[in-house]
Amino acid sequence: MGVDLIFMFRVLVFPGFAFLLAFALFCDWFERKVAARMQNRIGPTYTGPMGILQPLADYIKLLMKEDITPRQTSRFLFTLSPVLAFSLFVFILFYVPIDGANVILASGFEGDLILVLVLVTVAEFAMFLSGWSSVNPYSGIGSTRILTQLLGYDVPLMLLALGPAFLAKSLCISTIIARQKVPFMLLIPWAFIFFIITLQAELEKDPFDTPHAETEIVAGYGTEFTGRKLAFIRFSKDIQTVFSAALLASLFLGGPCESILFGSSSFLCTAWFVVKVLLVIFVLEFIGCMCARLRIDQVVWANWRIMIPIAILSLILTVVCAPLFESLIG
Amino acid sequence: MATVEQAAVDILKEKLGDKILEIVTPRPRRAFVLVKHGFHRDAVSLLLEQFERAGISTITGIDLGDEIELNYHMRCHGAVITIKSRVSKEKPQIETITDLIAGATLYEQEVFDLLGVVFKRHPNLKRLLLSEDWPEGSYPLRKDWNPQDVKENPYNVHTGPSKINDQGLDGTTYTTNVVIGPQHPALLEPERFLFKVDGEVVVDVEPRLGYVHRGIEKGAESLTFLQDVHLIERICGICNVSHTTCFCQAVESVGEIEIPPRAKYLRTIVVELNRIHSHLLLLGTAGLVLGYESLFQYMFRDREPTLDLMEMITGNRVVPAFNTIGGVRRDLKPGLNEKIENILERFEKRMRFYKDVFQEDPTMRLRTEGVGVLKKSDALKLCVAGPVLRGSGIKMDVRKDDAYAAYDEIPFNMITYKECDCWARLMVRVDEIVESINIIRYAAENLPSGPYRVKVPRKQPKGEAISRVEAPRGELVHYVKSDDSVHPYRVKVRSPTLANIISFREIAKGGYVADIPTALISLDPCFACMDRMVFLDVNTNRSWSWRLDEMKSLKGEVNGR
Repeated sequence: MGVDLIFMFRVLVFPGFAFLLAFALFCDWFERKVAARMQNRIGPTYTGPMGILQPLADYIKLLMKEDITPRQTSRFLFTLSPVLAFSLFVFILFYVPIDGANVILASGFEGDLILVLVLVTVAEFAMFLSGWSSVNPYSGIGSTRILTQLLGYDVPLMLLALGPAFLAKSLCISTIIARQKVPFMLLIPWAFIFFIITLQAELEKDPFDTPHAETEIVAGYGTEFTGRKLAFIRFSKDIQTVFSAALLASLFLGGPCESILFGSSSFLCTAWFVVKVLLVIFVLEFIGCMCARLRIDQVVWANWRIMIPIAILSLILTVVCAPLFESLIG
Repeated sequence: MATVEQAAVDILKEKLGDKILEIVTPRPRRAFVLVKHGFHRDAVSLLLEQFERAGISTITGIDLGDEIELNYHMRCHGAVITIKSRVSKEKPQIETITDLIAGATLYEQEVFDLLGVVFKRHPNLKRLLLSEDWPEGSYPLRKDWNPQDVKENPYNVHTGPSKINDQGLDGTTYTTNVVIGPQHPALLEPERFLFKVDGEVVVDVEPRLGYVHRGIEKGAESLTFLQDVHLIERICGICNVSHTTCFCQAVESVGEIEIPPRAKYLRTIVVELNRIHSHLLLLGTAGLVLGYESLFQYMFRDREPTLDLMEMITGNRVVPAFNTIGGVRRDLKPGLNEKIENILERFEKRMRFYKDVFQEDPTMRLRTEGVGVLKKSDALKLCVAGPVLRGSGIKMDVRKDDAYAAYDEIPFNMITYKECDCWARLMVRVDEIVESINIIRYAAENLPSGPYRVKVPRKQPKGEAISRVEAPRGELVHYVKSDDSVHPYRVKVRSPTLANIISFREIAKGGYVADIPTALISLDPCFACMDRMVFLDVNTNRSWSWRLDEMKSLKGEVNGR
C-alpha cells in the first residue's frame, strides 16, 4: 500500500503530472519572454508577477471557449487526436529522468531511448491526424507538411541520438546520464550542435516552422481547432518543448545527475533539471529569433543533403574518437 | 531636338492623317489626341512601335452626356500621350487593346464595370471592383446614375460571397482550391485570391479585387476641389502624401497655377518621408511574412523616428494634411533643420544594418532569391510600375522621367536591380530609403526662401490635366477634368497597386504555396488604394459610410431572417 501511495504521488504530483504541467506553463512563459526581449518587446506583463501566469490564463480562457467541430470533419479522429498527442507527450516525458529518476520506473530500462524516440514519431502522427481529420485546405497542407518535415529530420535525430548512447555503451537514458562525468556536449560538440538544429525542426520553430506558417496557411494543422481541443494541441506543443529540451539536457548536458559540487538530493537534481531545460529553451528560442522561415522543399532538401550525411559522419567520428574519451566516461 | 510629345504627335499626324480630330498639347510632356471612333487601336500601336518602353498608364472613362469618352493614357518615355476616343452612350462598344498591350486588361475591366463600356474581344470581361450581385445596367460613374437604382434593385445579401468563376482553372487533376482572403493573416487588407494548388505547387491564381470600395472617385465629383484634397488624402493611409501631391499638381495644371519654389521643396521633403515610412513598413512586413518576426519588430521600432519627423514638420504623424492646391499648408519651423539632420543620421546607420541583413542573412536569401521572377519583357508588357519595374532592371522612375516638385534640381540615383526576383524588389526599396534620406538632406539644406503657398480661386477653369507622381509603390496617376466650376467634373485615380497586381499571376504561377505571400508582399500591394472607387451606400446620396445605427439595423435584418 505504502509503495503504491508513493507511486501515485510520483505520477500525479511530483515529478509527474502536476509538476510537469506547471513547469510546461512556466517554460511557455519563459519562451515568450525570451522571444519578446529578443524582438525588442516586453512580452506578457499583466497576469501575475511579470506576467508569469499568462499561459495559465490563456489556457483557462481556451477551456471556457465554445468547442466547435466543423460538420464535415471525421468526428472521432478530430476529437481523439489532440488528446492523443497530449497524452503521448506526457507519457514520453515520464521516461526522462527529472529528479534523478524518472517517473514510472526508478531507473528506466535498457532501450528506453529507442522507445522515447519512437513515441515522439507516433505523437507527430497524432498531430498529423489532427490536421488531416479537420477537412480544411490549410490544415491539409499543414499536416502534409508535418509528415514531410518528419521524413526529413527523424532520421538525423535518431542517428545523432546514437552518439551519446554509443559513448555511454547503453540505450538507457538514465545510464547515459550516469556515465557523463564530463557532459557529452564537450566530448562530441559536433553531434550536440546538429542535435539542436534537428530539435528546432521537431519543435517546428524558426527556421523550420513551416507546418504552421501563419502567413501562408493560417494556423496550419490547428486551423479548425477551438476551445478545449485547441488547448490540448497547444499544451502538447508546450510539453513537447519541455521534453525536447529535457532530452537534449539528458543526452548531452549530463541531465539531472548527481552533481559533484552539491551532492545528490531529489531537490537539487530537480533544480539542475530545471536550469538545464531553461538553458536549452533559451538557445532554441535564440536560434528561432535569428532566422526566417524556410520553405518545405528547402527543409527536406537540407535534411537529406546536409543533415543526414552530417549525422552519419558525426556518428563515425564519435566511434573513432570514443577510445580517447575512455577515462572521461564513468 | 524635338520633345517626346512632339515626336509622338508628328508620327500620329503622319500615319493617321484626317482620322485625328483634335490635338492639344497644353503642357510639356503632355498631349491629348482625339481620334475617330475605331482608330484608337492604330494610334496605340503606333505609339508602342515608336517608343520601345511605352506602356499604358490607365484608361479613364468620362461621361460627356450623350457620349462616353475613353482616354487611353500612354506613358512614352516620360511623356503621357492621351489617345481619346468616343463611343455613344446608347451602345457603348469599342474594340479592345489588350492584344496590343496586355497591361490594359484590368483597366478595360474597370471601365466596363463602372461605366458599362463593352470592350469587344476582351479575353476576360468581368466585374473588377463591384460585387457580383450589383444590379445589371447600373453604372455608378455615369452622370445620370442615381443611387436610388441600387436601392430599388437591392443586391441580395443572402447570395453568399461573390463566386469566382472557375473557368481556366480546371484541367489539372489532383489539385486543390485554396482561397486566400478576404481575411487571411498574410493580407493586411481584405482581398481575395483563389489558388489552384497541386500539392505545394501553384498551378494558377485568380485575384478578385474590390473588397474595400469607398467610391472616392464618385465622391470627389460632389465635393469642391479644396475639399477633395482631404478626401483624396484618405485613399490610402500609407502613401497619402503622394496622392495629395498628385491631385494638387493636377488641379494646379488645370488652373495654370505656379506654386512657389519653397512649396516645391517642402512637398519633396514630405513625399520622401512618406516614402521612407512606407518602404520600412513594407520591409518589416516582408520580415513577418517570411517568418522573420524579429526583423519585423526591429523595423517597426526604427520606423518611429520618421513618423516623429513627419509630426515635427507637418503636425501629424501619418496623415499630415500638408499639401493644398497652390502650395503647402505649413512652413518649416526655424531650427528644425538640425533635428532633421540628427534623426536622419541615426536612421542612416540603422539602414546600413538592415541592408546587411537583407544581403547576408542566409535564410532571408533562401526565401527570396529566385522566387517570383518577373522577366524584363513581361514587366514591360504588363506595364507594372515603381520598384517592381526597377527590380526587373528597367530604369523608369517618374521622379527622373517626368520630374515634378523639386526633383529636377535635386541629385539622386535611380536604383535598379537585374535579378527580377522578390529579393531584387525588396533590395530596390532598401536602397531607395537611403536615396530618400539624401534627398531630404539636400532639400532641407537648399530650401529656397519665400512664400510657401499662393492663393488659389475656388473655381477652376475649363480644362483637363493628367499628373504623375512616383508614389512609394510606383507611378501614381491622377486625371482631373474641370468644367469651370468649384466641383471637378471627373477625377480619376490609378494607383500603382492596380498596375502591379496584374503581374501577380505571372510571378506566383509555378511557384510554391509557401512563396505566395513572399511574391505578393514583394509587389507591396495596397488594396485600399486600388479599390477606392465605388460608392456602395444606397441610403443617402452624399455619405459613403454606414453609420453605427445603420449597421446595427442591418445586422438585425440579417439575423431576423
